[in-house]
Amino acid sequence: MDALEILGLPVNASEEEIRAAYLRKVKEHPPERAPEEFERIRDAYAALRDPRRRMRHMLLAADPGAPLVSLLEAQAPQRRFTGPGPWLEVLKGK
Amino acid sequence: MAHGKSKAALDHAKEHHKKQNTAASEALLVDVYRARIQALLEQNLSREAKALIDLVQERYPAARARLEGIGTAVAARAGSLDDWIRPLNDPQVSPEQREAIEQVVRKEVCDLAALAACPVLPPEHPLRQAASALDRAFTMVTSGPVTEDAIRLPEISRRSPLAPWKLLVRAIAACYRGDGGACREQLDAIPGESAPARLIPAMRAMLGIKSPIALTAAATALVQQVSGDPAALRRALESLDRALAADQERAVVAAVRTVVQECRQTAPEQLTRLRQHITVRCAVANLDKDEIIRAMGGPPREDAYFYRLFARAMEQSGELENIAISCAAWDQFRQAAVREGWFPANGVEAATLYLHMAEQARQLPVEILRDLKHGKMKLSREERYFISPEELYQRACALDPHTEAFSQWMDWARQNSASQAERVAAAWHKICPGDLEPILHLMKQAANRKAFPSALQYLGRAEQIDGVHPEVRQARLRLTAGAILRHLQQKKPPLAAEKLATLAALPQTQQGDRPAFLAALRFLVSAVGGDTQRAEAAHAEVERLLGHRMAAQLLIFGAAVASKQRALEKLEEPGSLSTADRAAIPTSLARVTALFQDLNCGDCQISWPYIEEAAKQLRGSSSSLDAGQLQVLAEAGLNAKHFDLAYTASAAGLERGGATEARFLLLRARALPQLQFERRALCTAAAAHMARQHRDMDLLEQAVALLRGPLESADLVLTAEEAEEVLRKEKAEPASLGRNAPGPDYGAMLRKKLCDCPDCRRERGESVEPFEDMDLDEILASTPLPPDMPKEIAQILLEETKRAVERGESLDSLMARLFGPEARSGSKKRRRK
Repeated sequence: MDALEILGLPVNASEEEIRAAYLRKVKEHPPERAPEEFERIRDAYAALRDPRRRMRHMLLAADPGAPLVSLLEAQAPQRRFTGPGPWLEVLKGK
Repeated sequence: MAHGKSKAALDHAKEHHKKQNTAASEALLVDVYRARIQALLEQNLSREAKALIDLVQERYPAARARLEGIGTAVAARAGSLDDWIRPLNDPQVSPEQREAIEQVVRKEVCDLAALAACPVLPPEHPLRQAASALDRAFTMVTSGPVTEDAIRLPEISRRSPLAPWKLLVRAIAACYRGDGGACREQLDAIPGESAPARLIPAMRAMLGIKSPIALTAAATALVQQVSGDPAALRRALESLDRALAADQERAVVAAVRTVVQECRQTAPEQLTRLRQHITVRCAVANLDKDEIIRAMGGPPREDAYFYRLFARAMEQSGELENIAISCAAWDQFRQAAVREGWFPANGVEAATLYLHMAEQARQLPVEILRDLKHGKMKLSREERYFISPEELYQRACALDPHTEAFSQWMDWARQNSASQAERVAAAWHKICPGDLEPILHLMKQAANRKAFPSALQYLGRAEQIDGVHPEVRQARLRLTAGAILRHLQQKKPPLAAEKLATLAALPQTQQGDRPAFLAALRFLVSAVGGDTQRAEAAHAEVERLLGHRMAAQLLIFGAAVASKQRALEKLEEPGSLSTADRAAIPTSLARVTALFQDLNCGDCQISWPYIEEAAKQLRGSSSSLDAGQLQVLAEAGLNAKHFDLAYTASAAGLERGGATEARFLLLRARALPQLQFERRALCTAAAAHMARQHRDMDLLEQAVALLRGPLESADLVLTAEEAEEVLRKEKAEPASLGRNAPGPDYGAMLRKKLCDCPDCRRERGESVEPFEDMDLDEILASTPLPPDMPKEIAQILLEETKRAVERGESLDSLMARLFGPEARSGSKKRRRK
């Protein structure tokens, strides 16, 4: 998965944004609770810190040969707003 | 009841009361009803619970008091709040009763709107205020994006019975924001017995966390409505992947249609990306672009993401022809990315991209580059910059001048020409004066041109940067010796004497045979300066230091030739020398040659009769030379093109056995006549195999370079047994090179390894081009032609097809070229036929 996607950043993220996203993600996935996720976040940050490495990483991040079905996993799900109705149905035990 | 089977317990209690009909059996039945109602509430079946409690209260009025507690919970859950919440309006309500009511609010209230509008409490009552604020926040957070301020809810304290709702609102906001961590954090804080906790399993499912408990129907519906159900899209994509892998054009087109249709319904936000990926995958599979665009319902968006994907696909295709296309795509990516704000036009990022493009462009074959420059396209310099490594490296280094970029440029320039490499080194040195690599390169180039003052200037700078670098340390000795020889060539003995004094002061001149070289230079400086007495003393000193007259004569002769002062030392004809002097020639020649190599003074120029005599003496006895000296002699023979000396030295070396066998095998390969091509290739391949075994990387590099270069046998790899066989056969050969000697019999091995016929190559697993082992006349004779087609036309078509296949042209393109665009219609299967 692309380092930018792991940290949830746009391609033109600044250095401050990268650092902030890294700290936010580490807070979300501390090493003692999610060691694998933490490793991925740390690797992604290492790849994005240096502008040359970041660019090289960005150039090679695209994987045109990957199965198309993997696109579904790579993309964060777009959640739809439903209004309070369906939520209240669950609360009321229907 | 103890096992939680309230329905069965109720049946038994009813049966019991029917039979007994006593106060005790009625009390037992009411208790079981109570447990059943509680179980219904736990299953979120509040309507059923309300109906059951109404029925029990009607049938058993005496039991009303016993059902009061559970009745409140049922009423709260069903939204009938007035009766049980009324006491909160009474200032005299006991703390115990308040706590009990609040507990019910915490556990059972689901209808915030009803609580906010509850008429039994005044509008300003904190519980109504809190319920009203939460109801607004809950509606907002489930209906669209919200700000942090909108869900801050300061009016809800942590002690409020509605506090869990505040956590729920925040969890929902985080979930929609895509902040899974924050969402989990809020969900974890919601008390398990509170009403909002009923949403936790559904929300965990939205976050992709699997729950051991199955979701209720309402929860499943909520998850689907919020997250969408990509199962159908997933199946369609898997089907498209399979069709692409099987190269089934029709199936691909049909699958593309389904994927796009499903994507529009399930995940419309992903349609753009999907179209881009499908286009690229189909381009790689060489499918009809227009057909795919029709199936997708439109072309892909050609943005930076698309060009990057396309460029990478072309790079990964492994076909040289596609590299130019990938470079062009990278250029379009650069323009689009700058337009879209991915990175600035003139920054480090653009420089890194240029470097990447240069790495690709340098793989382009010269023929393709020539075609693009001078062929039909005749692209201008600016138009073709993206396939010109020189231009790309220049741009990269101008935007981001750093060591790695220059190093890559230098590496490319070195492979092209010395002058280009020198230009790059000069540019590098100008921008990064602290880098050692360009200085060393400029220093060596200056030394090669005999421009020793410049070379020494560069050396001075190199010593300031890294005085202990091995190349820098050796350079001072070599450049000073070179400068002395140059001054002697120019007949400037005072300058030579000055440099000689500098050389003598260097501590490294005292190692090995170097003092003898110093004395030889002293002889030449004195002789050129006319100081005969000193010259004689120096000559004697050389003889003393080397321990033999013959070695001293050869060294002084070599140094005199190198300084173009040949007249100062004359060598006698070998025939007139004593037997002892003649026998000493090989050892002396080896020592002097090694000394010249050590000081980088070029090849030691020894007269041809002495080289012939060395080979002759070596054939008689080589015991006085060690393996190192034999290698030096073999190299000297190769440099002087006296292949007999090189061969004889290699034979003597092979006879010694041991770790140096591989090196002597490679020297044997280089010493053999050009005509014995196969034998040279086998010896080199055997040397490469042995070098691999001994981890001798330097030798391996030499052997591989020889196999790839002059021998054109890059694919020739021997097994351990085969390498052993080559070594054994070469050792058994005579010690000297017979002009007409056939050499060992490698017939079987050659057939197995080097035969170039299609059958043997196919057997070795190598690629065989289509048509390569086909006889076109035979095909033509055996193929039934259409009745109105002349044989000449059929022959032209067949030859044209052969050329197209060899070029890698697609069948579609060939058909369109031969028969016009209408030939492209019809099924792929029919077209192939």
